[in-house]
Amino acid sequence: MTNDEIFAKIQAKFPKIEKAAVPVKDYLTVRLASPADLVSFSQWLKDSSFDMLETVTATDLLGPVDMKGFIRQQNFNPFLPEGATPQIEAAATAGYPYKPAMDLLYVFYSVTEKARVFARLEIAREGVSVPSLVPLFKSADWQERETFDLLGIRFDGHPNLIKILTPDFTVGHPLRKDYAHVKDRFDE
Amino acid sequence: MSNMMSAADASTMPELKSDQLFINLGPQHPSTHGVLRIGLTINGEVIVKAVPDIGYLHRGTEKLAEVRNYHHCVVLTDRWDYVSAMPNNLVFCLAAEKLMGVKATPRADALRVIMCEMNRVASHLLFFGTYGIDLGAYTPFLYAFREREMVLDLFEMICGARLTYNYIRLGGVMVDASPEWLARTGEFVEYFKPRLDEYDTLLTYNPIFMARTEGVGIVTAKEAVDWALSGPNLRGSGVNHDVRKTDPYCGYENYDFDVPLGKTGSCWDRYFCRVSEMRQSIRIIEQAIAKLPAGPFMSPGVAKIPKPAPGESYAHVEASRGDLGIYLASDGGISPFRMHVHAPSFINLAMLQEKLVGMKVSDVIALLGSIDIVLGEVDR
Repeated sequence: MTNDEIFAKIQAKFPKIEKAAVPVKDYLTVRLASPADLVSFSQWLKDSSFDMLETVTATDLLGPVDMKGFIRQQNFNPFLPEGATPQIEAAATAGYPYKPAMDLLYVFYSVTEKARVFARLEIAREGVSVPSLVPLFKSADWQERETFDLLGIRFDGHPNLIKILTPDFTVGHPLRKDYAHVKDRFDE
Repeated sequence: MSNMMSAADASTMPELKSDQLFINLGPQHPSTHGVLRIGLTINGEVIVKAVPDIGYLHRGTEKLAEVRNYHHCVVLTDRWDYVSAMPNNLVFCLAAEKLMGVKATPRADALRVIMCEMNRVASHLLFFGTYGIDLGAYTPFLYAFREREMVLDLFEMICGARLTYNYIRLGGVMVDASPEWLARTGEFVEYFKPRLDEYDTLLTYNPIFMARTEGVGIVTAKEAVDWALSGPNLRGSGVNHDVRKTDPYCGYENYDFDVPLGKTGSCWDRYFCRVSEMRQSIRIIEQAIAKLPAGPFMSPGVAKIPKPAPGESYAHVEASRGDLGIYLASDGGISPFRMHVHAPSFINLAMLQEKLVGMKVSDVIALLGSIDIVLGEVDR
């Protein structure tokens, strides 16, 4: 199946789902309208041979990353003259649509058709949760935990939504763009 | 006295009850190949509950990438799967090249293929040796490391590093392969081919080894897909999925090789897939050396500090442990706006919590070893 054929099938079943404005290069990328569509869409994909959920992740679209999230002196360079700006400081790029939102990314793969569908879903940064896909795909288990740990997105119905990568004493979710490091017992 | 009586009575009763015991496997257990802790609740020899605990090696590479430029990020990639770092370099470069609209030269592509396949051989040799040790066979380890040293020596000869290469760069590779290096690699290939038969006599068909692994830790094809396993773990269950065939990169479609498949999805099948893959890797290396195109090893037009236009890209390769993918998003700045690693070890390990339940304690090591994880990639 080519990407266009897959998209035509998706359109026939879910007319509200459209192609993403910014696609992932070379892959079919669709954008879901609301979290309510997620489970029915995934269920339909699973039934139509897309039985492997490869990736669950998200991007924080808030803006350039806050340098306070990095523990050490940024880009320490002993050859830099006193008072000079370090080589890299996160800076906003003019014209990029930053917004306070989380952009979730799901990658479905069909072993028989050898095709991929990238599904994007934008949600608010605070107070919104997404339905968990663990009842449909077991592979969602740890990846949703990782997304929760690093980005602070809550997945409703996840059987065991606890931290997975960061230590218990880490305050906040490191991949949020406004994450600021809180000193812990390993800082001097 | 009455206590003793009741104890004697209890021992003859059919529904003999014993207390459950909690034990920690790791994080310093030699068979976990790194810092993995599994909290096991056992009833006698049988596992009732298993809780894998990861994150001991979490270094936050996805966060670090947000304040580094694209060339810097290649250095970070070496530290995920540190026993096979070439595919890590490659997958990041492929994703960034897609984003920047750069293509590697034909010679660079061929060199990338040679390096990745050599690294696969080195990585699978490490698996072969340590899996033998896990199951009580010490000798194969010595043989495997003898050959692995040769591969690492070849890597050291070309790029100066034995594990963290940083050899594959945006737009090409770091240095060209000299005729001397290619000759030495050809010699290694000739030397290595008969060694594979030696391994089979040492371990593959060893009755004790087969008794420990065959029929143990069976993962059916349906389960494997449900857990989104990849690499030899998926193919051991008989699912024919290899990124080199389904989504070819670096000209893999021009090489003639087979994808070894397992039958039942037991530990032995996963092991056998890896050992057979080494043969195929050797075939690919031979073909790549034979038809190595001439020309530049680095494509022109890669900026010193690249600033790709806003966009998103995804690239994935068949790394030694499975389908390694990188999702990159750029906001037009000099650093990736978001980098996500689809790490095969992390995803393969997730099935442990369910698969271990009901197994015997000694089989934990057999299953864990056969999944072949590298904790650097699990925790990133």
